[in-house]
Amino acid sequence: MGKYILKRFLLMIPTLLGVAVLIFFLMRVVPGDIVELRFSGESSFASKEMLDKERARFGLDRPLWRQFAEWMWGVVRFDFGTSMWTGSPIFEEIKLRFALSLQLAIMATIVAVLLAIPLGVLAALRQDTWVDYVVRIFSIAGIATPSFWLGIVFILGLLIVFKWLPPMVYTPFWVDPWQNMLQLIWPALAVGYRYSAVATRMTRSAMLEVLREDYIRTARAKGLVEKLILSRHALKNAMLPVLTVVGIEFAFLMGGLVVTEQVFNLNGLGLLFVQSVAHRDYTLTQALVLLVASVFIVVNFVMDLMYAWLDPRIRYR
Amino acid sequence: MAINPPADVAADLGPAEARHRWVAAALDFCRRRSLGAVGAVVVVVMILMALSATALAPYDPLAVDFGSMLSAPSAQHWLGTDSFGRDVLSRLIYGSRTALLVGFGAAFLGSTVGAILGVGSAYFGGRVDLYLQRVMDVFLSFPLIILALAIVAILGNSLQNVTMAIMVPMIPRCALVIRSSGLAIREMPYVDAARAAGFGHARIILRHMLPNVMAPFLIMLTAFLGQAILLEASLSFLGLGVQEPTASWGLMLRGAAVEFAETAPWMAIFPGLAISLAVFAFSLFGDSLRDALDPKLRSL
Repeated sequence: MGKYILKRFLLMIPTLLGVAVLIFFLMRVVPGDIVELRFSGESSFASKEMLDKERARFGLDRPLWRQFAEWMWGVVRFDFGTSMWTGSPIFEEIKLRFALSLQLAIMATIVAVLLAIPLGVLAALRQDTWVDYVVRIFSIAGIATPSFWLGIVFILGLLIVFKWLPPMVYTPFWVDPWQNMLQLIWPALAVGYRYSAVATRMTRSAMLEVLREDYIRTARAKGLVEKLILSRHALKNAMLPVLTVVGIEFAFLMGGLVVTEQVFNLNGLGLLFVQSVAHRDYTLTQALVLLVASVFIVVNFVMDLMYAWLDPRIRYR
Repeated sequence: MAINPPADVAADLGPAEARHRWVAAALDFCRRRSLGAVGAVVVVVMILMALSATALAPYDPLAVDFGSMLSAPSAQHWLGTDSFGRDVLSRLIYGSRTALLVGFGAAFLGSTVGAILGVGSAYFGGRVDLYLQRVMDVFLSFPLIILALAIVAILGNSLQNVTMAIMVPMIPRCALVIRSSGLAIREMPYVDAARAAGFGHARIILRHMLPNVMAPFLIMLTAFLGQAILLEASLSFLGLGVQEPTASWGLMLRGAAVEFAETAPWMAIFPGLAISLAVFAFSLFGDSLRDALDPKLRSL
């Protein structure tokens, strides 16, 4: 097991390095840089010397490999530098938004699990009946409906039916949990419904597979109550693939909520990413992408370990 | 297997009879997977709508009419007008062109490139496989929308570039699936035979292996179609996709649609319904196709 963990751990390093190289050069290929953007905003004519001086201040005049090496040296010491656009430390820029995106991702995941597991189990138990079909249509509709549009419909519905709008200004959870929940529950519902779809399908097929196992027949034969068979024997064993799907989706949610954040006026990681790309804020964009990719890679790592721990066959492959 | 006529039977049949087999397979699909058939019908209707947009649309989708701004659905404008007085129905019909063009373009290109990379990776194995897989890992760890955003920022946002931006994140996802099918096919005797006959790598990959991963390829392709339409809508909604005044469903939801959502809800409701219906139809069809083509999942 130790050898497997080490091997799997070491495999994360080239992936992360690849992400770093990719985003570093992607950003430099994007036409225009922060200095040009800054000066084009002001009406005054900027001379070439001024532009060059400003570029030198950011270190953009140095050769690319050196810029990359310096950035990497910072990254390994967890020093991401300062945002080129605002001048404040990247850590400060990301901190609050990370908390917001994390909370939203957790809430959406909870919504997704609460929808997916009962629906999936129900569909599996009533396979090929109308219940199964309704669940299937419900979950495919979830995949098909853009969560940003669902968000607009939620807001519109609340406004028309209750003459009430959710708060549009973000309150951190630790300041006022009630206000915070009032605001975040809607995007969490919109996103969670969408993400429940895949987990529902997974729960259904995993349950169907498990229900055919010998140990379920044994449990039935020895006269165990059906409820116990389902909860103790079937569901427990069917949860592994479902957990994987949920975990991977959670990792994607951290960076993938760009559009939903826009609708609900949430200042999360997604919005910050769009802004940082628009500003050609290299340092901030790079840090954000590395952060989101790390979350994804680490969640995948943990999932693999969990699998290997639960299923010893994987380790020896 | 509902879709493919058995090869040995098809070989003995004349072209007319072979066609008959395909019709029978399609009918069988409709009968056994009625949900999928419904999806297919909606998709076909949508394609027809996009093709005959010029004849179907009651108004010019770009014609600005400040006399009838934000007017509610009526006999003149069935689905109302937007903040420029443009007919929402006409824009929806023309928007289906954008959605289908980007959807089919991105899904087809993305899954084709992904399939070739996946099969190649499986065929060569060893170092090539290892390095290709690491590169795929890198692309996979970017959230879909972030990768697409970065590409649009680099290329600019014309219709082709948006298609490119949506296609790129699909490549590794398809390659991953196709590779695992390809690994099994590499061990098949006919691949050994082709190698023994002295065929080149390209010929073996394209002529011998690629046709045999058709089932997972079609599954990925149909799954991507809906996703590509959704991604185009998302990018356009953010203002990073197709640009005004082109009619695009995502673009119709942007700006004024949200601002005037209370007084003119038709601007926000109908484009969203169009996106949902289109993606829903593609997903229904894709899902049923997967059930029909994938023997492992069929019994479940």
